[in-house]
Amino acid sequence: MLALTEVRRRKLQFGFVTGVVALIAYLIIMVTGLGLGLYEAAGTALLNLNGDHLAYAANSNLSVIRSRLSDEDVAEVRSLPGAEAATPIGYVAAVIEFGPDESDTAAIIGVIPGSFAEPEVVEGRPIEGPTDILVDRAWVRVAGTRVGDTLALPVGFETRDFTVAGIVDRGYFFFQPGMYVDLASWQDLVFQGEAMQKPAASLVLLQGRDLAGTRSENWRIVTKEDGFNNIEGVQAQQSTVDALRYMGLLIGAMVIGVFFYVITLQKVSLLGILKAIGAPGPYLVTQGLLQVLVVCMVGAAVAVGLALLTEATVLASDTIPINFTSGAMATSSISVVIAGVVGSLLSARQVASIDPIIAMQQQ
Amino acid sequence: MAILQLRDVSKSFGQGPRRVDAVRDFSLEVDRGEVVALEGPSGSGKTTLLALAGALLTPTAGEIRVDGDDITKYGARARTRYRRDRVGFVFQGSNMVPFLTARENLLLVGEFGAGDRAALRRRADELLEQLDLVPVRDQVATSLSGGERQRVAIARALMRDPSLLLVDEPTASLNFELGTRVVDALLSEVHLRDKACIMVTHDDRMAQRADRLVEIRDGSLLSDRPLR
Repeated sequence: MLALTEVRRRKLQFGFVTGVVALIAYLIIMVTGLGLGLYEAAGTALLNLNGDHLAYAANSNLSVIRSRLSDEDVAEVRSLPGAEAATPIGYVAAVIEFGPDESDTAAIIGVIPGSFAEPEVVEGRPIEGPTDILVDRAWVRVAGTRVGDTLALPVGFETRDFTVAGIVDRGYFFFQPGMYVDLASWQDLVFQGEAMQKPAASLVLLQGRDLAGTRSENWRIVTKEDGFNNIEGVQAQQSTVDALRYMGLLIGAMVIGVFFYVITLQKVSLLGILKAIGAPGPYLVTQGLLQVLVVCMVGAAVAVGLALLTEATVLASDTIPINFTSGAMATSSISVVIAGVVGSLLSARQVASIDPIIAMQQQ
Repeated sequence: MAILQLRDVSKSFGQGPRRVDAVRDFSLEVDRGEVVALEGPSGSGKTTLLALAGALLTPTAGEIRVDGDDITKYGARARTRYRRDRVGFVFQGSNMVPFLTARENLLLVGEFGAGDRAALRRRADELLEQLDLVPVRDQVATSLSGGERQRVAIARALMRDPSLLLVDEPTASLNFELGTRVVDALLSEVHLRDKACIMVTHDDRMAQRADRLVEIRDGSLLSDRPLR
């Protein structure tokens, strides 16, 4: 096979192009991983809630931060005909102290113990009392907290000690580690112990069908996915990451296209001679595209290796919200290969249009 | 019997005041086992004539027959097949695929179309032996000398056993001694295998080794005389 023999024998030239493709693919994989990481950090905890729909306060503009529901609202939502099950949940961002001079901001999610909103623990036990707290595994890795440790959370002007009862694997919320407490404790955290007019919840989590769009004067129901997409900044963040990816692919296609175009221009005379001695145009075009495929596939494979190496070394002990899934890596790699082939179509056109007589005269 | 017949062939490039008549009413016949040296100054139409016989160009007027077939009637695919199977080209200068070995350059023609690969390999080895290329058969083209490269080009042109060989300045980049060896190898192959051959050359000493000498000036036939 002429194309593969050339790649094998011109290692430096094709190695250089493969290196450039690998760097482009690596960049795209990193951006994709970052996008996925940010997406998860934005609110996987919300997406992982064991329900289909969420009821927000009508005046909250689907903001979890601003949503406040009263006992009457919760009861009303619970009694909806399509609601098979409903449970209130609360959200508040709070500073947690987990050691001497060590603190972090966490997303405190209040749930009724034993309800379907309470996440399953992967270690330890569920919430059993007002001072029990479930912490996310991702944060445990960073903070080094264990089951049985004490975390201090602010209640009014004081702090209350919570005991890590269990560890869950539900991800982040608002870029903060998700931590789960009793709904009554959440009320204390949010409303600082004041007894009057405490809202019952931030949201109501529902299981049921055809609930999206149901609304009253005080609340409205949307799907969990719509709720996620309305988390402050999520859409803008994903649009930015997507734009970076598409720009990367576009630049990649252009760079690969230019490289192969230059390589083709350097071979005009040779390609003309091959046509003169009977090489059909489609054969030469196929050989050119085969080279692009090989270079892009090897480049993408090198990029995947680099990304895995980065994950295992640089990112292993860091808190950068980046996530490499095999699906995302495969999609990015395939995208780079497709971009490379698209970019090289100009070269293919050039090859097809080479006139052997002109090539003879260029000798 | 003539393998190649050119009858009143003309070829013009451009139109109007920019029109250039590269070949004018040119007629020529080349018989089996005959080497015709085509001589003329630069721009006289030698390469154009070779390109017309090789179906790289189509004539503006006239008829070109190879083994009795009018190749001017061929479509693009038929012209490609014709160049692959029925005509052998030897170009001036370096015309090898530089990253392939001498033997791989010969076997390259097998990649372009169907054919018995084992038979092609046997034929490549046979040609390499006949043209004294066995010691360099596994060397890449860039490491071959000018003479070796031209002999590989002749071998490659003979791979598909074509009836017609079209040779453009085969000794342009070689010294006289090396050029003589290359031309002698070419003549030997043409006579041995009963091919027809047109050899374009500037060098009168090389032209004198052919069977016939045809001179061309401004696209027209100036003289046609036998040398043997």
